[in-house]
Amino acid sequence: MSFLNPITAIIAAAVAVPALLILYFLKLRRRDVEVSTTLLWKRAIEDLQANAPFQRLRNNILLILQMLALLALLLAVAQPQLSANVSSGAKSVIIIDRSASMQATDGDPDKPGTLTRLEAAKRRALELVDRLREPGLLGGAGDEAMVIAMDTIGEVRQNFTTSKAALRAAIEAITPTDAPSRLKDTYGLARAFAQRPVFQEGAAPDQDGSRIAGQTAVMHLFSDGRLADAEKVEAQPEDVFVYHAVGSPLTENVGIVGLRAERSYDKPGTMSVFVALQSTAAAARAVDVQLAIDGQVAAIKQVTLPSAGAGQRTADMDPNDRAVVPANGGLVFSVDRPQAAIVSVSIRQQEPDAMPADDVGYLVVPPARRLAVALVTPGNLFLREVVEGLNLSRPPLVLTPGQAQAILDDPKKAGEYDVWILDRWIPTVRGADGKPAPGLPPGRFMVFGPPPPPPAGLIDRGPGEATIALDVRRAHPVMRPLTLDALVVTGARRTAVEDKSPVTVLAEGATGPLIVEAATLETRALIVAFDVIESTWWVDPSFVLFVAGGVRHLAGEGAEGGEGVIQAGSVLTQRLPTGAEQVSISRPDRAAADLVPSADGQVVFREPQNVGIYTLSWKGPPGGSDVLVDGRVRRAVAANLLDPAESDLGTRLKLGLQSKLVDAQSGDAAGVRRLWPWLLLACLLIVMVEWWIYNRKVAI
Amino acid sequence: MQKLQSPSRPERLDELLDPQMVARLGALDLTSRKVLAGKMKGERRSKRRGQSVEFADHRQYVVGDDLRHIDWNIFGRLDRLFLKLFLEEEDLSLHVVLDATASLDCGQPSKFLLAQRLACALGYIGLVNLHRVTVTAVGGLAPTPEGDLRPQLMSAVRDLRGRRRLQDLSRFLLQLEPGGPGGFTEAAKRIALTRKGKGVMVVISDFFVKEGYENGLRLLLGRGYEVYAVQVLSPQELEPDVGGDLRLKDCEDGDVAEVTITAPLLKRYKQMLAAYCARLRDFCAARSIVLQTVPSTTPVDALVLDYLRRKGLVR
Repeated sequence: MSFLNPITAIIAAAVAVPALLILYFLKLRRRDVEVSTTLLWKRAIEDLQANAPFQRLRNNILLILQMLALLALLLAVAQPQLSANVSSGAKSVIIIDRSASMQATDGDPDKPGTLTRLEAAKRRALELVDRLREPGLLGGAGDEAMVIAMDTIGEVRQNFTTSKAALRAAIEAITPTDAPSRLKDTYGLARAFAQRPVFQEGAAPDQDGSRIAGQTAVMHLFSDGRLADAEKVEAQPEDVFVYHAVGSPLTENVGIVGLRAERSYDKPGTMSVFVALQSTAAAARAVDVQLAIDGQVAAIKQVTLPSAGAGQRTADMDPNDRAVVPANGGLVFSVDRPQAAIVSVSIRQQEPDAMPADDVGYLVVPPARRLAVALVTPGNLFLREVVEGLNLSRPPLVLTPGQAQAILDDPKKAGEYDVWILDRWIPTVRGADGKPAPGLPPGRFMVFGPPPPPPAGLIDRGPGEATIALDVRRAHPVMRPLTLDALVVTGARRTAVEDKSPVTVLAEGATGPLIVEAATLETRALIVAFDVIESTWWVDPSFVLFVAGGVRHLAGEGAEGGEGVIQAGSVLTQRLPTGAEQVSISRPDRAAADLVPSADGQVVFREPQNVGIYTLSWKGPPGGSDVLVDGRVRRAVAANLLDPAESDLGTRLKLGLQSKLVDAQSGDAAGVRRLWPWLLLACLLIVMVEWWIYNRKVAI
Repeated sequence: MQKLQSPSRPERLDELLDPQMVARLGALDLTSRKVLAGKMKGERRSKRRGQSVEFADHRQYVVGDDLRHIDWNIFGRLDRLFLKLFLEEEDLSLHVVLDATASLDCGQPSKFLLAQRLACALGYIGLVNLHRVTVTAVGGLAPTPEGDLRPQLMSAVRDLRGRRRLQDLSRFLLQLEPGGPGGFTEAAKRIALTRKGKGVMVVISDFFVKEGYENGLRLLLGRGYEVYAVQVLSPQELEPDVGGDLRLKDCEDGDVAEVTITAPLLKRYKQMLAAYCARLRDFCAARSIVLQTVPSTTPVDALVLDYLRRKGLVR
């Protein structure tokens, strides 16, 4: 039991209790009655009334009842409340997972299909809000809470407040998204609010002790525990983190976890759609996978997914957690489709799935086209051979630096080529001060030799010693098929990445980055910061693969490297052609929103929360693969879930953070019982009993 | 229980004794359990030998005896002188002690009124039967020369005899103004010292005497008086009808008791009253005092003709 207003009650008690006692000691105003004798009365009252004041009080039932009534009244003033699970801190951060897996319909494990996990989580969160202590009627601070909605990022829906109505409204306004859930950023956000430092007034900020820890808020996470990055969350010992698990650990699901479309290298008109499936069902399951192109069903294939295997139990698992190794399966659709296409892949099951968000995936496939490449080289046989071997729309244009500079100075002519390959030569561009300087103009470039200067380049500190590739970023689509183990660079340069420059290091040697990708708003470049001739790379097949993959990557082909596919919940960023006006975006549910492009034509849409096709449309010039419909240019972007962790729906009853394990709280927490109405009722009853006794006593 | 602010007092004899009652009382006479010697010739058989027509005994003549009382028939037969003795018929002394303290002036109907009427009725019975009737009022207020009323210890009217003295008796009773603290024991002492002979004494009081009624009754009982006690209590004393927070003031001595009337207190009061009356009754029984406790609502004819007849005071 806790009291909202103890100080006021103590003060009131200090005044009221002595006042009541004093009233008892004070003489009553009595009516004078003359009687024949007081002899008998005096003898009668001698037995009933002791003369000593405290003896007088001792047997006075009325005083005892009045004291009880006063006590009940004072307790009511203190506003006690009783709870089986009172929020342990005065501040609570309520984090509600609204990711795709929270749409699973096992929110009520006893009645599957009736309640989504998000609804159950919101219900539990509302119960928590109900349990918060309200501010006292006569003063006294109540519990504060804030609401954060979490998927890939955390969104503060309600800052700290004691208003339960505001908290309830914020919780009830949370809608599900098809985004995967990531705890790390949200945890950091919640922690920043939870441990807001308190600065002592009048003390210098740097002085020791001036900053003392504020009151630590309790972080309540309402989730199913399917958090792919939970182990990366660094929970500090002082963090108070409560995990409220919703959903059932036994829920099974089949979902699409990978989707990719590629055009055949030899026959670009043939499109292959690769579908990766995942099943957590205990039994093998046959599912139909349907491929639709522009809304028309193109093919249906059946695939049998094996039963999910029993996984190895780890120490951080609850005994009730289901250790499952999801079964994977896949299939490939091959379709002749030279034109651009919006591909949708969906799983057809006889019984509806617990989570529909991962049963469908979309792809925006650009039309089949062959690339045009310009090669600028003072003479490099190996590079020229490789480029000429690519499947291009026309033979590569081989230029000398002088010719190339003339073409690059004319943007219209330069734009005729998808990718420029620069060998040991950097064009001259006009800098911000108007002076010519080496650098990359707008466009797509593959650079060999001394790197261009930042921002779309590296800091070049001259020749260095020979090196090998020490670290390779294998996740990058260009580097994925490569093996650089045999690469020895004799003519390596001492390079470095400038701070905050948009450069991703793909391979690093002893002298600095060897291969980087630089992507500014206008320029995109793959930079190989050494002369291929002065290395062993030219005799390695990986060189050919690098050039071929790099050209396609720079040209924007392929699902992964393309700009037409994002993950639901991430930020949709697109660069529109200069001059685009009246930009709007329509969501999968047909709702539209207006966007304002920045000066360089970039538009940012922060709410692609659901799986589906988002269509940007604008008035103005179209881009390379854009479509003109009714006078407006349209560009489609597909948002997919494609998250194996999210598609595994079994609720985790124990959440393993980096430094601690958090057990799930049970869901049957009792609400706060406010006792003051009962105390007032008790006070009233006692007063009534006292009145009855008084009347019985004085009745003649 | 409460004292009335301005109680109505009887002003005439017929307010004390109405004619019907006078007629009924005329047939009654006082009795005493013992045969007592009187002072004057009367209608009551005396212990003395006297001159009545009723034969009592013979005794031998001794020198000096009245020759008129010699039984000459026996002298004729036996030739010896015997005196013929007759029972003497004498009067009876009736002493009515009336409590006229302030406590008697309480209650509704007034206890004092009943006491007045009872005293008058008994006095009337005594007078018509040629007894010597004395009425003593204990306490009461007496007018001063300045016209004020002043408490007095006692007042009395003595040795009334014959129906004609009824006016004196009634005048005395009617002029009594109850009040003052009285002094029962002191008054009893004075009565005991001043009374003569033996007789019947009737004490009419509520017996609420703070210093105790025991000594007073003991004094009155001495010297051969047959004592009858009539305790008069008002209905308000028997069943108090007060409530709330009260300051009870004793009308005799001004003593104050602060009480909050509650059911337990009333119960306790009644227990105390019952115990007080029981103690009085025991005290009287131990000393052959005949006690009759009556509420002030009792009609005086019923009291005399029924209660006191049964107690043997009248016949």
